[in-house]
Amino acid sequence: MKPTKAVTLSIVLLLSSMPNYAAANDQDKLQFSGFTRLILGHLDDKNAEYVGYDNSISMDQQSLIGLQADYAFNNEISLTGQFIGHTGKQRSSGLEWLYLTYTPNKAWRIKLGKQRIPFFNYSDSLDVGFAYPWLTLPQQFYDTAFFSTFEGLLANYEYNLGSWVMNFEGYWGIYDDKIYLASGEIDTKVTGLYGFNTSAAYDSWTFRAAYNQGNADLTLPGAAQFVEVLNQFGFNQSAETLNPDGLIRFYQLSANYENLNYFIRSEVATMVGESGPVPDIDSFYISVGYQFSPYTLYVSYSERDVHYDHPANEIPYGVSSGLDELAATYELVLAGFPDDKTQGTKIGLRWDWRYNVALKGEVTHVNADKVSNDFALKNLGRFDNSAILYQLGVEWVF
Amino acid sequence: MARVLTLLVVCYLGFVQPSYAAEAVIVVANTADKSIQLSRQQVRNLFMGGALPYDLDAVALPPENHTRVLFNTKVVGLTESRIQSYWAQMRFTGRKKGPVELKNEKLVVEYLMSNVGTIGYLPAGMSIPDELTVLYSTN
Repeated sequence: MKPTKAVTLSIVLLLSSMPNYAAANDQDKLQFSGFTRLILGHLDDKNAEYVGYDNSISMDQQSLIGLQADYAFNNEISLTGQFIGHTGKQRSSGLEWLYLTYTPNKAWRIKLGKQRIPFFNYSDSLDVGFAYPWLTLPQQFYDTAFFSTFEGLLANYEYNLGSWVMNFEGYWGIYDDKIYLASGEIDTKVTGLYGFNTSAAYDSWTFRAAYNQGNADLTLPGAAQFVEVLNQFGFNQSAETLNPDGLIRFYQLSANYENLNYFIRSEVATMVGESGPVPDIDSFYISVGYQFSPYTLYVSYSERDVHYDHPANEIPYGVSSGLDELAATYELVLAGFPDDKTQGTKIGLRWDWRYNVALKGEVTHVNADKVSNDFALKNLGRFDNSAILYQLGVEWVF
Repeated sequence: MARVLTLLVVCYLGFVQPSYAAEAVIVVANTADKSIQLSRQQVRNLFMGGALPYDLDAVALPPENHTRVLFNTKVVGLTESRIQSYWAQMRFTGRKKGPVELKNEKLVVEYLMSNVGTIGYLPAGMSIPDELTVLYSTN
């Protein structure tokens, strides 16, 4: 049984056993809400693609609609489902959230079901553009996490330490779906997925630190067979390099400041992939904004460095034609995992036109040292490693 | 010339923030313990859905309400837009729900009177029934 079905079934069974289920007053307890974003974009370079945008004007990369239903069984237990309809190629539409929440008191919150992984500050609200000032999140940072949801348990505890609000969160679960790279989809199963994060807020300051890890098993067509051949020839080190099964760890630190007029937001993260086909990624962003209600003017700089292990080829050339072929194939396969290093600089304006509608305009300059075509930036042929993305958008929550 | 113009615009923007210095806001609750006093930070946490040692449920006024604007400026320290963004993030990530919103100050007083353990903000000049306790004042 697929995990999603198992989670849905267990939630339905749990709910049907609750005595007040049938007696609930549906009108008071059921609430619908949603959000939508319409984003127009144009890249000034015909030799590249960035965040799905090319040299044409398109509206079908980041535009989306999200619908949420919340049903409160009583003051402590509620069920939430959130459906997202995406226009973009790199995301699939469907049920992104489906979970039961148990809130025994104001300090504790426990969620069971399909949820977003709280890797970074905005990982669980990527689709809710209204929630952040930028039109596109600092892409060099937020293009890092390949899998965004998990099925499992999340617990959150909040308490006061003097004037500080301290929040602790931990989760455990699995991910069994596809990951969407710009270069294609890969069937992925992540087991032993867990993480914890803590945030501390004092007046205008918020700090956050997070650790997440999971054992990822990527289904790379042909890789498993080739690994077998390498093992047969005794090239275990090379075989291990291509073994797509391994631990991935994520570390994050963040500091934010915000008052009536200014904000500074920053995050830094490191991802460590233990297996050869999963890279190590270092990324950060810093953004400064000036708020003159109802407008917010901001600038942002972000950087990402994706690097794979590059072990020396242990398969000797010139011994036999069979080994030559094996060595050449091995090098060809390794070449399929190129490094990637890009920087993004943006300036934008957000206009909160209504309390639930914001209009945004943003210009992003993306610069590349190395382009792998696995991430947001794609070289379509003779790309000079520099492009500008122009975007306009409407964010609406209802 | 362009630099001078930019400077002028920035200076102008710095001064257009409305001045609410003379108007105060009080935070009032229906609570059995009349001795509770809250700091500005605690009031801010409470209205942003944060945990507090006291079990109090916050009620708010609508975004266009003048007392709410004062409260945002003097206590929360965030613009209305940012507060709306914050609650959108909280709602769609299943973290917290915003305070109950009532249309005007009179309805807030009525709501507080009939619900023990609730807390709201009101203009400082407003007459408050004896049953309610002032826990914080911006003055």
